[in-house]
Amino acid sequence: MNGKNFLKPFMESIIAVTIGVLVGAIVLAFSGYSPLEAYKALLDGALGSKYGIALTLSSATPIMLTGLTFAISARTGIFNIGAEGTVYFGAIAAIAFTAAFANPLMGLLGGILFGAAWSLPAAFLKVYRGVHEVISTIMLNWIAFFGALYIVLGPLANPNDPNKTISVPESARLGLILKETDLSWGFVIAVIAALLSYYLLWHTVLGYGMRASGYNERASKYGGINPKLAIIWSFVIGGIMSGLAGAVEVMGRPPSYAISQGMANIHGYGFDGIGVSLVGRNHPLGIILSGIFFGMLKAGATSMQIEAGVPLEMVKVVQGIIVVAVAVPGLWDLVKNLFGRGRQ
Amino acid sequence: MNALDMVIFNLMGALTAMVPLVLTSVGAAVSERAGVVNIGYEGILLMSAFFGAIFAEMGGNAWIGMLGGAFIGMLFGMLHGAITVYLKGDHIIPGIGINLLALGVVAFGITAVWGTAGQHQVAIKMAKWYTPYGPVSPMIFITILITLVTHWVLFKTPLGLRIRSVGENPEAADALGINVEKYRFWATVYGSLLAGLGGAYLSVDWLGTVTKDISSGRGFIALANMVFSGWNPINALFGGFLFGFFDNLSIWVRTNPSVQNIVPWQFVATLPYIVTIVIVAGVIGKVRPPKADGKPYKRE
Amino acid sequence: MEEKPLIEMKGIVKVYPDGTRTLKGVDFSVKKGEIHGLLGENGAGKTTLMKILSGMLKPTDGRIYINGEEAAFKSPADALSKGIGIVHQHFTLVDVFDALHNIILGMEGHGLFSKIDVGRAKRKLQKVMDELNFQVPLDVPVENLPVGVQQRIEILKMLYRDVDVLILDEPTAVLTPIEVKELFRVLNTLKEQGKTIIFISHKLREVMEITDRVTVLRKGELIGSINTSDATPQILARMMVGREVVLRIQKPPKEAGEPILEVKDLWVVGDRGEKSVKGLTFEVRAGEIFGIAGVEGNGQTELIEALTGLRHVEKGKVLLNGKDITGKPPKELYDLGIAHIPEDRTNMGLILDMSVAENAILGLQWKEDFRGPLDSIRWVNVRKHSEELVREFEIVVPGIDAPLRSLSGGNQQKLIVAREVSKKPLLIIASQPTRGVDVASTEYIRNYLIKLRNENKAVLLVSADLDEVTQLSDRMAVMYEGEFVGVVKPEEVTEEQIGLMMGGIRI
Repeated sequence: MNGKNFLKPFMESIIAVTIGVLVGAIVLAFSGYSPLEAYKALLDGALGSKYGIALTLSSATPIMLTGLTFAISARTGIFNIGAEGTVYFGAIAAIAFTAAFANPLMGLLGGILFGAAWSLPAAFLKVYRGVHEVISTIMLNWIAFFGALYIVLGPLANPNDPNKTISVPESARLGLILKETDLSWGFVIAVIAALLSYYLLWHTVLGYGMRASGYNERASKYGGINPKLAIIWSFVIGGIMSGLAGAVEVMGRPPSYAISQGMANIHGYGFDGIGVSLVGRNHPLGIILSGIFFGMLKAGATSMQIEAGVPLEMVKVVQGIIVVAVAVPGLWDLVKNLFGRGRQ
Repeated sequence: MNALDMVIFNLMGALTAMVPLVLTSVGAAVSERAGVVNIGYEGILLMSAFFGAIFAEMGGNAWIGMLGGAFIGMLFGMLHGAITVYLKGDHIIPGIGINLLALGVVAFGITAVWGTAGQHQVAIKMAKWYTPYGPVSPMIFITILITLVTHWVLFKTPLGLRIRSVGENPEAADALGINVEKYRFWATVYGSLLAGLGGAYLSVDWLGTVTKDISSGRGFIALANMVFSGWNPINALFGGFLFGFFDNLSIWVRTNPSVQNIVPWQFVATLPYIVTIVIVAGVIGKVRPPKADGKPYKRE
Repeated sequence: MEEKPLIEMKGIVKVYPDGTRTLKGVDFSVKKGEIHGLLGENGAGKTTLMKILSGMLKPTDGRIYINGEEAAFKSPADALSKGIGIVHQHFTLVDVFDALHNIILGMEGHGLFSKIDVGRAKRKLQKVMDELNFQVPLDVPVENLPVGVQQRIEILKMLYRDVDVLILDEPTAVLTPIEVKELFRVLNTLKEQGKTIIFISHKLREVMEITDRVTVLRKGELIGSINTSDATPQILARMMVGREVVLRIQKPPKEAGEPILEVKDLWVVGDRGEKSVKGLTFEVRAGEIFGIAGVEGNGQTELIEALTGLRHVEKGKVLLNGKDITGKPPKELYDLGIAHIPEDRTNMGLILDMSVAENAILGLQWKEDFRGPLDSIRWVNVRKHSEELVREFEIVVPGIDAPLRSLSGGNQQKLIVAREVSKKPLLIIASQPTRGVDVASTEYIRNYLIKLRNENKAVLLVSADLDEVTQLSDRMAVMYEGEFVGVVKPEEVTEEQIGLMMGGIRI
């Protein structure tokens, strides 16, 4: 990829982020908060200390993985927004597998298997029945939510606190990279997953076929590629990423190492991942960067709430504005025209 | 409660639950008949539920809340229309953006406005008729009326003919001097406006509360209903009643202890979503979307 | 100059954004009340000229006068308001609407929100139909009507708008002989009513039969106008096909070898369920170029797609080297030695958003050279391969990592040819291999096809460019309505005879 091709999408994401931050400031001001104070508290919390940086990276971990789900499917021409539900089953599988085997590898394997399995219904509905994946994956997210809630409150419930699940046994947890922080080896797993996704898409024959059929189904058929198979693979590999996101989150995030009440600690990652992927231009390497950026927002949200009194959901407003801005086509050209009108 | 009462009770409940689904489906049908796909209705429902409640409480009147919700829907319809129709952007991504934005705005807004976390009891209530089988909202009749009028306009008037023509074959419409962009844009706005009305109904009328996940996938169920009904408003009314029945049933069972002992409530709660998938999978191939649905139109 | 022309187009130039010059300064004039034929081969610029006249395209240069007044159209609706209407080769009807609603669309009368007065519109239409003495069902969705009827609806749509000038683009291309007769009767009635008609065609017999005057275009240039009464099919054929600047093609004589491709009683159905290929039987031998000429849309596309595994074969057999390959998927066919240069370069042969290198292995990606352990792509080999192709075929590229979109049409096409040849095939199927390609690339590609033939490959060439087929082919067929009108040796027939065959006349 040469520099010029890379610059434009990168700049568009930067512009979108800028718009998000600016509009966010306006929303803050209108809601009676000081935008400067709020953003300062946010940056302070996310980057101002070793603990904050660790929190940023650990918050980036699951959403990088769910971002990969969206990106891999988007590269195949599919809008898979089913990461949310897949995360739940990845987390559940990790708890169940580690309860049985007390080994971190088994936990990760559980996340992978359940993630792949839960992606299949939408894949088959798409390929064999033509059901649009946006509808099927959203419905499956809700089915997953209630199904997972049943398992959390039932089979996997903690006998001492029935609102949450049993914890991952200590021997099966992912170790911390930095002591007394939230940063576990899960972050490294997410980065490796991104690198592998990049490798898959651009350095394997399978990934080549997936991208070809995503760009142009007719030409891919001419090239001997089976677009249906490409779509199924994109769902399965994407599902693995989200399954891992759930597994890594419960196996690597102190202190509880369990699914908490109402599944609050594994909720929302699927949707955050869509934003991460879009801002990362659906590119695994871009996702590493945008994942860390979104992780920063998440990590700083708490200190923004404590220090500036701004509800922590504010960061989701900023995220949402960024994604809407990313959807505007030719953002870079628009801005260039706006500022470059006098020239030439 | 005897069996017959229970049936009537649930059918009445279905009428109540169908309102947001039908409004959104009818709006989506108009938008897609004109060729614009919008998957942001979920977010529009959510935001209109939130802002509708604010409007209602500020104006001291439930109807002001309903209009406020419709207004918010309209604004987001304009945003979506500007991106898809005039800037020729992708039709799916702006919808995803609006849905994500809604998640943030509502969660943030509930705390910022009312100082509560995640939930607010709306102070203003819609006046309803109270029957032994539960309350009946005037919005049920308004929804039916809107559906019938929309259906009539879509299939009997020049406006409807033109809307349908730009979604089926924009080249043909353009060749006859019809402004494709104008019709597409306003059809999109109308669709979102109806969804906004449905959103305000959730908080100000039916549920009487604002929560950060009050839309609960209804925006997408409404899209499924639109497909199921073949992009036809009157069919969407009946489809909405069917989907509403399962929506209401799952809520009713959840709060009914005698059933809870037999089936876990979570399984019942998945019912509307499973029904949606099954119906859409079954009906596809038998219905046909507008030919230029979701395709940006640029003249040669 | 006995009377002033109704329409005058002067010095019309059209250059498309990609640099293709479709019209190179064409003058064209039509008198009121005549049926004026616009004749030319595919790519002559007939349709472009008429799209400009009907407001669909803006000319790069040139002026249009209507009744002596200069006109500039911004849209088709603009031209319609000046009384100029066009019926395209591909109809612009809303499939799911009935005829009535298709016709009244945009001028339904009354306000936007009032009920459409169907009865009134019906009465008005009935009157128009009675005057022309033809009928169409007004309340059936048009998609359920035969194309001939759909065409009448298009004509009615224009008449409902009171056009004075009716342009018909290849109106007979989709009609049966009986429907053609009926159309001609209607056109004559319209002429009697004082309407002016422009009839675009490449079919000599029809132009002779229906028109009063003919204008001939060739490769974007005006060849001349002639009164039909002064013309013969032979004269028109010569004007249409012309004496081309002959490209330097060296073709030594060569004996053809064993049959490589054998097609037996092949039947293929098109997208709309019509029979596109009707029982073709032919063979292509090693060391020969077998050309298929003919106007596009006579079943060539469907034939090629069926031969390359991209379309279902209804009936019949296809053999490669004696082995039955009917209905095999593309990947298997490539492995067996078929290469395919598809007619639709940008939608099928290439992926514009991928790089030159990535496109250089489309259809080759699983070959041992390019696929390493663990399904990996051997990028080193892919790059070497792409660079070789680029060098060997003199393809002008910004770099092999550049997106394909950044290449010119000619260089895109050369990349396809290069890639397909690199498959070391037994049979090359080349469909419109030089369409939209610059002269230098055209010459290169044509000479390369000869080289392949000299190397004892079998070449099946399909082209709407008659020169191409006659110059390259050892044997050639002319395809018309899904059948071969004749199979001949190019040197044994005259250009006029081929022109007649392309118009469906057996010789």
